[in-house]
Amino acid sequence: MASRARVLMTVVALAATALIAVSCGGDDDDDGGSGGKAKLTFWHGQTEMWADCLATQIAEFNRTHKNIEVSSDTGGVVADRMLQKVTAGLQAGNYPDVAYVFGSDLANFAKSDKLVDLTDSDKIDIDAFYPAGRDAATVDGRVRAVPALIDNLAIVYNRKLFKEAGVDFPNDDWTWDDFRATAKQLTDDARGIVGTGWPGTGDEDTTWRIWPLVWQLGGDILSEDGDTVGFDGASGEGALSYVRDLSADGSVYIDTSAGSERMNQLFQSNKMAMIATGPWNLPDFVDAKVDYGVALLPAFQGEHTTIAGPDVWAIFDNGENRAKAAEEFVGWLTSAEQNLTCATQAGSLPTREDVTKLDGYQDYVNSLPGLTKFVDNLQNAQVRPTIAEYPQISQAMGKAIGLMLFQKAEPADALQDAVDKSNAALRVPGP
Amino acid sequence: MSSEAAAAPPRPLAKRILGETPSAWVFVAPAAVIIVGLAIVPIGWSLVLSFRASDLLSPGHSVGFANYDALLDDPDLRSAVGHTLVFTGLFVPLSIVFGLLLAIALNRPIRLIGFYRTAILLPFIASTAVQGVLFSYIFDERFGVANAVLDKLGIARQGFLGDPDQALLVIVLIALWGGVGFSVIIYLAALQDVPRDLVDAARVDGAKRLGVLRHVVLPQLMPVTVFLVIWQTLLSLQLFDLVYATTRGGPLDSTVVVVYYVYKQAFVLFNAGYAAAVAYVVAAFLIALACLQILYRRLSARHA
Amino acid sequence: MRERALPFSPWHLLLAPAAILFALPFAWMVLSSFMSNAQINHFPPTIIPDSLHVVGWDHVLRRATFPSWFVNSMIVASVTVVSNLVFCSLAGYAFARLRFRGSSLLFALIIATLIIPFQLTMIPTFIVMERLNLVDTLAALIIPGLVTPLGVFLMRQFFVSLPREVEEAARIDGCSRLGVLLHVAIPLARPALATLAALTFLISWNDLLWPVIAINSDETFTLPLGLTTFQGQHTQDWAAVMAGNVITAVPVVVAFLLAQRTFIESLTSSAVKG
Repeated sequence: MASRARVLMTVVALAATALIAVSCGGDDDDDGGSGGKAKLTFWHGQTEMWADCLATQIAEFNRTHKNIEVSSDTGGVVADRMLQKVTAGLQAGNYPDVAYVFGSDLANFAKSDKLVDLTDSDKIDIDAFYPAGRDAATVDGRVRAVPALIDNLAIVYNRKLFKEAGVDFPNDDWTWDDFRATAKQLTDDARGIVGTGWPGTGDEDTTWRIWPLVWQLGGDILSEDGDTVGFDGASGEGALSYVRDLSADGSVYIDTSAGSERMNQLFQSNKMAMIATGPWNLPDFVDAKVDYGVALLPAFQGEHTTIAGPDVWAIFDNGENRAKAAEEFVGWLTSAEQNLTCATQAGSLPTREDVTKLDGYQDYVNSLPGLTKFVDNLQNAQVRPTIAEYPQISQAMGKAIGLMLFQKAEPADALQDAVDKSNAALRVPGP
Repeated sequence: MSSEAAAAPPRPLAKRILGETPSAWVFVAPAAVIIVGLAIVPIGWSLVLSFRASDLLSPGHSVGFANYDALLDDPDLRSAVGHTLVFTGLFVPLSIVFGLLLAIALNRPIRLIGFYRTAILLPFIASTAVQGVLFSYIFDERFGVANAVLDKLGIARQGFLGDPDQALLVIVLIALWGGVGFSVIIYLAALQDVPRDLVDAARVDGAKRLGVLRHVVLPQLMPVTVFLVIWQTLLSLQLFDLVYATTRGGPLDSTVVVVYYVYKQAFVLFNAGYAAAVAYVVAAFLIALACLQILYRRLSARHA
Repeated sequence: MRERALPFSPWHLLLAPAAILFALPFAWMVLSSFMSNAQINHFPPTIIPDSLHVVGWDHVLRRATFPSWFVNSMIVASVTVVSNLVFCSLAGYAFARLRFRGSSLLFALIIATLIIPFQLTMIPTFIVMERLNLVDTLAALIIPGLVTPLGVFLMRQFFVSLPREVEEAARIDGCSRLGVLLHVAIPLARPALATLAALTFLISWNDLLWPVIAINSDETFTLPLGLTTFQGQHTQDWAAVMAGNVITAVPVVVAFLLAQRTFIESLTSSAVKG
């Protein structure tokens, strides 16, 4: 009996020792006080090619800026989980210096006093960025972040499927009616080919695609005074009816997977004729050897308005020393040269106009067929308002679009529901 | 049992007054400290949060019972609860029944039994994310294997995960595929402990296979079955990972379950206070159910 | 033994299809790890790799920090298993056999801690770890899992189902409670302990959300966390993800195989089979 008990004790002691040993692992690096090297944590949330490119950028920055050291640790978080992890960090008082934040989350982050206000920063010139990026980084008139990635929606079409069906390629003044007819023509159930697709999860991926239609029909997400929505009425109803008609034609693949992954796979497998997507997918299409072309979004009345969904670098306040160093780092990272360096790997368009004047720019543009179209499209792009209630509006409209895709409601009713819910959310006073 | 009292040596006075309590507490101390100790802060924090309007990013402010009032009127929450109950009502009994059947089948000394056991446990070993990926392929409406099979059999194609009326049921199927292994492994272990002499006695009395099963094995499995019912119910009410990996609550919110709803409120809509209130209402409901069950047992014991 | 109509046991007719049904998706995962990304992204999906592409395996195994992911997961899982075996047996036995004040209440509390969803509790748990200065250490991953309600509940039920007579005999012989546990109950509960070990290993090994929140540095990643670096917002290195998942599954399969070693061909089956 004694020996058994001894074995037990030994096991427990071993476990305890192991515990103590591993708990001496992590040590919070200090902020370098006042005058020491500023050590920054940078959670870029990226993986694969862009992550590798960022790693070389970090090394380069550290080499040329001896008073700042940016850690190469990525924080163990991908962009999808960034909100949860940074929120936990802010609550506990252990948060990064720079993080990659989705544009749609910035307005809510701006409510935290730990998010540095960059309006008067001398390291960051927000006017150098394209208006879409600038707007996405500004909340309530104050600059609270720096554009990291910019994109927009255009129609990428499968030339092979068009040729096989004997349909003309889209041109630059096509209309939504053209789009609908083309989608119908190209849908071939026997061969398993579908004209186009739309995400059906009901989240932001579903919603953001409808705003160009709303804008083109003269509406907006918010009304003039910002107190109510701007898509109640003809613009909202027109947009929703269009989606319903597309679905009724049977030419829409409703993608219920996360991140519209299925749609992309279908397009790459030559099973979808047209896909509304951004430049980030082009490398995959090239890899899959798809013969594709890029066209602007169709128009209702001649204006090919599209939507851009910029994401940003957010700087958090870990003390003045680190905050200033972070501003310097982000300013460097978002400069024209650095922007161009990783643009291909990031699958991003240039975030600022002076990138287009650089030497390597032509090579970059030529590296991906169709990329120029996306860059030119930036001038047609509008962005979502940076308000804290946008997620509510997104959910409400996402539900309405879902009802249209599944043909479960009339556009007018679905619209009314979405408008009511959104207005209710806008009415709630902020904290 | 009474023989113990008669034959045991007289116990010291202290032991007779305090009973087993001191040594018992030593036994449970580590579990109590780690589990309950670590849970106190989160449970308290969540409770406080439920009385506030907070997005976890800005200080927020106290709103008393406003969150609780609001959730009584929330149709989305009602749907989420409904979906969760449907899921639980289907998953728990099916996973236990199938688990038992498979465990009995796997408890044979036949050839390849090791292979069978491993094969049937494999889904349980794969992470939920992987299960989600695999099954969203299989059940894809246009191009999935499941519909291809139905086509061959001449049955109409189904919407599966793309159909608001079917998606939840498909999630039950995926959960069963991935979760029955839990019941299997536990029943397998429990079947080891069925006392041989009881089984032999039954056989001697002329009981056939099914009879032995019903009258000897199943009663022996009762404690473990109780565990499985309670545990699988608790797990079902906590369903989240599978929904996140497959449908994200869609299509048309038909697979939003309570914990997914809590996540959405907290991290998509920035209503963490409301999310906490929802979590507490569900918790309160569960506790009420548990109390009712204990009460019922006490009462029926008294009448027995 | 009765004459068989078939040359093999009829149970195979049930088990073989079931085994295929359960194992097929998993087999597809293994096969996918040998495909190229272009083929994996093809839709409808194909089952047989067009040729043996090891690019996925290459990406995962060549990653500089991959060995440390594996080692970290091993450390966390092993300590968790040992600790649970010890403490859950102690607590489970106490709840099953000892009568003491507050036992029902404590047991209920232990189960009740599960009721609040992790999506909410992860933030305050993180705050606690931060106060203890354990963020970004393996201890932050180990401590919450040292004793689990699953383990306590499971062991309690197993001990309850054991026949009391042997334990009582030992008590009469003057054995202490601990002695009874160590010499009588635990040997009888070996299959239960093996199952608990395998289950605890599985849960700890596959955990993703908590490590995401609690770990910041690349060298402290666990295996599932490290594998997320192959999945981007818009592009995924599926071949690597599949290869990574196969690697992740292997130790758990081994754990369950080891656990099954304690399952002797059942007493019931030998008595019951006809």
